[in-house]
Amino acid sequence: MAQTHKIVTSDKLSATLDHEFDTFPKLLERNVIERPKRTAMREKDFGIWQSWTWEEVSIQVKLIACGLASLGLRRGDPVAIIGDNRPRLYWTIAAVQALGGIPVPMYQDAVADEIKFVLGHALVRFAVVEDQEQIDKLLSVFNDCPNLEFIIYDQPRGMRNYKESHLYYIEDVINEGDEFDKSKPSFFSDEVSKGDSADTAIILYTSGTTGEPKGVVLTHEAIYLTSVNAADQEGINENDECLAYLPMAWAGDHVLSYAQSYAVGFCVSCPESSETLLNDLRELGPTYFFAPPRIYENVLTSVMIRISDSSSIKRKMFDFFMKVARRSGADILDKKQVSVMDRFLYFLGEILVYGPLKNTLGLSLIRNAYTAGEAIGPDIFLFYRSLGINLKQLYGSTEASVFITAQPNGEVKPDTVGVPTPGVEITVSEAGEVMFRSPGVFKEYFKNPEATSETKTHDGWVRTGDAGLVGDDGHLRIIDRAKDVGRLSNGTLFAPKYIENKLKFFSHIKEAVAFGDEREFCAVIVNIDLEAVGNWAEQNGITYSSYQELASLPRIYDLVQENIEQVNDELSKETNLAGAQIKRFLILHKELHADDGELTRTRKVRRSFIAEKYNLLIDSLYGDDNHCKITTELTFEDGRKGLVSADLIIRTITYANKLAAE
Amino acid sequence: MNEIVAPSNKETNANESSGLHKDASFETLLEVEKISLSFGGVHALDEVTFDIRKGEIRAIIGPNGAGKSSMLNVINGFYQPQQGFIKYKGNERKKMSPQIAASQGIARTFQNIALFRGMSTLDNIMTGRNLKMRRGIFWQMIHWGPARNEEIHHREIAEHVIDFLEIEPIRKTPVGRLPYGLQKRVELGRALAAQPDLLLLDEPMAGMNVEEKEDMCRFIIDVNEEFGTTIALIEHDMGVVMDLSDRVVVLNYGKKIADGTPDFVRADQGVVDAYLGVSEK
Repeated sequence: MAQTHKIVTSDKLSATLDHEFDTFPKLLERNVIERPKRTAMREKDFGIWQSWTWEEVSIQVKLIACGLASLGLRRGDPVAIIGDNRPRLYWTIAAVQALGGIPVPMYQDAVADEIKFVLGHALVRFAVVEDQEQIDKLLSVFNDCPNLEFIIYDQPRGMRNYKESHLYYIEDVINEGDEFDKSKPSFFSDEVSKGDSADTAIILYTSGTTGEPKGVVLTHEAIYLTSVNAADQEGINENDECLAYLPMAWAGDHVLSYAQSYAVGFCVSCPESSETLLNDLRELGPTYFFAPPRIYENVLTSVMIRISDSSSIKRKMFDFFMKVARRSGADILDKKQVSVMDRFLYFLGEILVYGPLKNTLGLSLIRNAYTAGEAIGPDIFLFYRSLGINLKQLYGSTEASVFITAQPNGEVKPDTVGVPTPGVEITVSEAGEVMFRSPGVFKEYFKNPEATSETKTHDGWVRTGDAGLVGDDGHLRIIDRAKDVGRLSNGTLFAPKYIENKLKFFSHIKEAVAFGDEREFCAVIVNIDLEAVGNWAEQNGITYSSYQELASLPRIYDLVQENIEQVNDELSKETNLAGAQIKRFLILHKELHADDGELTRTRKVRRSFIAEKYNLLIDSLYGDDNHCKITTELTFEDGRKGLVSADLIIRTITYANKLAAE
Repeated sequence: MNEIVAPSNKETNANESSGLHKDASFETLLEVEKISLSFGGVHALDEVTFDIRKGEIRAIIGPNGAGKSSMLNVINGFYQPQQGFIKYKGNERKKMSPQIAASQGIARTFQNIALFRGMSTLDNIMTGRNLKMRRGIFWQMIHWGPARNEEIHHREIAEHVIDFLEIEPIRKTPVGRLPYGLQKRVELGRALAAQPDLLLLDEPMAGMNVEEKEDMCRFIIDVNEEFGTTIALIEHDMGVVMDLSDRVVVLNYGKKIADGTPDFVRADQGVVDAYLGVSEK
């Protein structure tokens, strides 16, 4: 059992609860007392950053709460929140919590069926949504959700022809709330003071790599303590600035853009739209930034593409100073010893290359930047660090109110996810699974006691489902999903995600799915990156008319094969994984997509689903043919479905040499 | 489900919500009375008469060379007709210059995009405010006090247009670098920035793909329904015309051959003949 194993904890102690301010609405009141005139929230609207102080935010929250109360929101009512990151949606979270309701944020790009499941499962009565797009989805499932009574929208655009009586414009609700507040002036503060730290603060539905989504129930206490502990270790304070752009339904965004902001008092800004994100990032210059690896990858790819299109002088300068940065940048950031010459060159590079580049990316003021959710390529990770951007990895889960481990300043390594944050205990079970116990542990899965008892032991340990190990330095390393780690039929250890990640670190490969458990060898299905490969094709004078055609070109196969051979070479150097080199591969004719169920909404590969959907391809991969015909269904953005068929080439690769020596 | 809101809602709309400016009293915004225009021996327009009601979407259609663009050019004063007159907002006018037309609330877009290619989207849209700027060049040069306040006011309107047309991401991009469909949208933005009463659109959807067309249709309907702007448009895509417009006037060889609701025009034999040609017996 877990207890027999070494337990690793932080040397810092966990914070304790201040009973006067033990819920988020109460923390909002505290912020109004402590920092009334400080900016709490910004949003770019009509080309200008509009801002609200803590005082103004608290008034808006009160009015929304009173408006909801006048519509009949009762304590314990779940309220769905769907949309992009908009201040009013964040305020709705606080307003609902103030009334003792339970906010249930959902992914804004979820299709109607997914929304229907959550609405039905959580018995949602109220939905507060962003715009017409979300309204349309809700109306299409309205009759299937008998509990849903009120739909409130933030953006009136395009709504003039909607006559449904259960639709309310949020400003009308706010006006209603104003009347309500005038007639019952003490109502709001009474409701806030009824709140208790053990109350449910939020239910976050996890996108779930397997099966139906599960609603993770988190209490005010769990989220507050985790937020404060992490802020404490990382030195996050009220002077920080962050940009709220990740889905509101994701635990990371909830804790960062809402909970930590309320707990510590820093300002959160909402971008104008998702398309203007990079521009807004640059204007804002956040000090605290959180992004999944793919965002860092995308930014790096676009930088590289723009550099390769620039004049040769600029390119040479960039190459030269990046070499300097790679040699000494990360060490300078970690305050290690670096030769005087390199320091001077790095200083010069800062003026000529790194500084302007960071400024263009909006990352010049970063104090703490994090990547989480998936493994990040060491090259990508070191690229940012060598520029002097303090990018760090953290490991967390919704079930832990996000933070489990984080890399403290000065102890950043590309292959670990850091040490436990204050109050968190971690251990690795006999089966190699990482387990944790912390003040942030979730209460339960909503209406799913089976799953709860499967995940959470009676003494409070939570299974993460990740296979990992703790090194002598106390840092946690994550290898793979525990259930995915398997063995080839000859007994060699096979860690699919490990292989996939190695492949994905090449810019030309967007996704990869590796198979091999109880098979003779390892085979992969590859998804090319349209932007990177398209650009490469353009530069090499290769014409193509569609993604499908591009993906089937022999020269693209050559390109991918080179990458795979490199991965094989790396694998061959690792004693226990050398046998699991990639033998056969094919390039898929369509992009794996969440709408087709192949990825989760957080863009994680759903391996078992893909194995089932493309079983024909997998059979061919393990057969003798060098091509395979397939017809697949795909879903368009508006929900229509279509069929696409293709004849895919399969290639066989020889193993890297080292295996022979074994 | 909300592909294009227009077709299904159009009828109910005309009678209910926007009936305010749609039917009620059929208030006429512009009347074209027996307009004739010729270039040398070519009769571009021959005694054309029709009207545009306040708040409607009026389509002008016809085969190539039927005189549609000439008609728009006459309405906004670019061409002077040899005969006939135009009555706009109750004032009869024989001659109208583009300046007068613009200052009286007529804005237009062009068949071939006519934007300042080197200027940003925002700057292009700001030019749509030009006629409404009251401070002279001197004040604008020193950019201080009243001139500055005025610019802030105009910028605000331009930003509302940008928000409306959902072109925030290209706000600062030079127009010449934008794809064609977006340039068309910017041009519409510039026309909207003038807050026109009558908006003339010359083939707003020419050369667009289906998705861009759907977007443009939605914007046209939104402009019409949300701002109550009267719209006269020339368009070749019959599907678009029939779905979008309240009434259609059909020109052929400079003559009006039909005028009425889309259904009426579609059933008209003269129109069918004009488009498909008649076999001579």
